[in-house]
Amino acid sequence: MAETSWHRVAASVDVREGEAIAVNVGDLQIALCRVGGTIHAFENICPHAYALLSDGFVEDNEIECPLHAARFEITTGRCLAPPADRDLVTYAVKVEEDEVFVAVPS
Amino acid sequence: MFLRNFWYVAATDQEVQAKPFGRTIMNEPIVFFRMPDGTPVALEDRCPHRRLPLSMGKLVGDALQCGYHGLRFDKTGQCVRVPGQDLIPPSARVKSYPVVERYKWLWIWMGDPALADPDKITDFHWFDDPNWGAKSAYLHVEANWQLVVDNLLDLTHLAFVHETTIGNMALVEHAAVKVQRGPNNVLVTRWTIDQPAPPTFVKVGGFTTNVDRWQIIDYAPPAFLRLDVGATPTGTGAPEGKRVGGISMRNLNAITPETETTTHYFWGQAHDFEPGNRQMTERVFEQIQAAFYEDVAIFQAQQRMISLDPDSPTVDINADSGGIQARRIVDRLYAEEQAALAQRAAAE
Ligand code: FES
Ligand code: FES
Ligand SMILES: [Fe+2]
Repeated sequence: MAETSWHRVAASVDVREGEAIAVNVGDLQIALCRVGGTIHAFENICPHAYALLSDGFVEDNEIECPLHAARFEITTGRCLAPPADRDLVTYAVKVEEDEVFVAVPS
Repeated sequence: MFLRNFWYVAATDQEVQAKPFGRTIMNEPIVFFRMPDGTPVALEDRCPHRRLPLSMGKLVGDALQCGYHGLRFDKTGQCVRVPGQDLIPPSARVKSYPVVERYKWLWIWMGDPALADPDKITDFHWFDDPNWGAKSAYLHVEANWQLVVDNLLDLTHLAFVHETTIGNMALVEHAAVKVQRGPNNVLVTRWTIDQPAPPTFVKVGGFTTNVDRWQIIDYAPPAFLRLDVGATPTGTGAPEGKRVGGISMRNLNAITPETETTTHYFWGQAHDFEPGNRQMTERVFEQIQAAFYEDVAIFQAQQRMISLDPDSPTVDINADSGGIQARRIVDRLYAEEQAALAQRAAAE
């Protein structure tokens, strides 16, 4: 298991249901999205052709890429529809005192 | 690819007079004229006798007379007179199209006439609303209609195509963009906060400070784009819905395919400041018109490259999302229309 470290990336109130927001940890681009009250974090660059997934369309537990409509399950990162051909990298999330932290490899 | 079961803008109300004029829409030649009582009429612009355009003929009483051998047609397209013979062959008729005059435009229904419900005409009330000053114009574009739609849904091009008029770099680098979609519409919302006003806005709005600028693009198929654009001095609350001390305009676009590679482009600009001031309307219009000519040059150049090799590859970037969602709606509606046509053909 690679070492990870926690980084504060957003205020909890800024992460809403039904939309994704973009955050950065260093050069790493991450999307945050709330599903059923819980915040999830995953890589924000579509594995197909570099679209920003945070510009995409969220419905329930799915996010659709804004360009060629690849779909992913938000809670697991699982790829549900082409043209993307792999799952998304996901990151652990914790909320402390209304601040959102993600764990990224250090 | 054309969508048939929609109302399209065919002409400005000024273009339609007693003297017939011809215009091709979706590869169909159509002649437009006004009856002596002012009623606008649209018929197939091809005489069933020897195929001369009827737009080369003239109105005689209530009938359109062909300029070649004098066959006459009534407003339903039925031939009512053949010179030199008493009997009228049953196939001597041309197609007629439902038309409606609204918002200073003549609208035409290109699909199944049984479905032509005027309530489905897209709203462009700004052209006859006393609370707005407005002026519209027509441009002929040698490019596919969807290139025009793409252009209006991706306003990052303002910074590059229109840097001397309505654009500046702030629009690309500092805009918060959101694309929302419904089954039959796309809404692209762009905010640029606390940035310098572009040249045109300084000219018509007199801004001396940085501005908060919005561009809210409402797309409805097949090709209607209504843009709510404007700016207020920064920090005065426009993003929260409080538009004070600035300017608000509507950029209004109705795009009608002529052929696969040519387009009738009806557009106009409305402004909410000094709505009754004709000079202001002209000034606003002229500023924006300059930008529209810049766009037309772009579309036509794109089309030339596309026509050389329609299958040459393209790359999509983040800014394309709005245009891509619109194309997806058109693709779906086209598949639906084709399926309905196939079903009807099978039933017959
Ligand atoms: S970039 Fe995401 S599906 Fe193509
Ligand atoms: S940058 Fe868009 S066509 Fe070249
Ligand atoms: Fe433009």
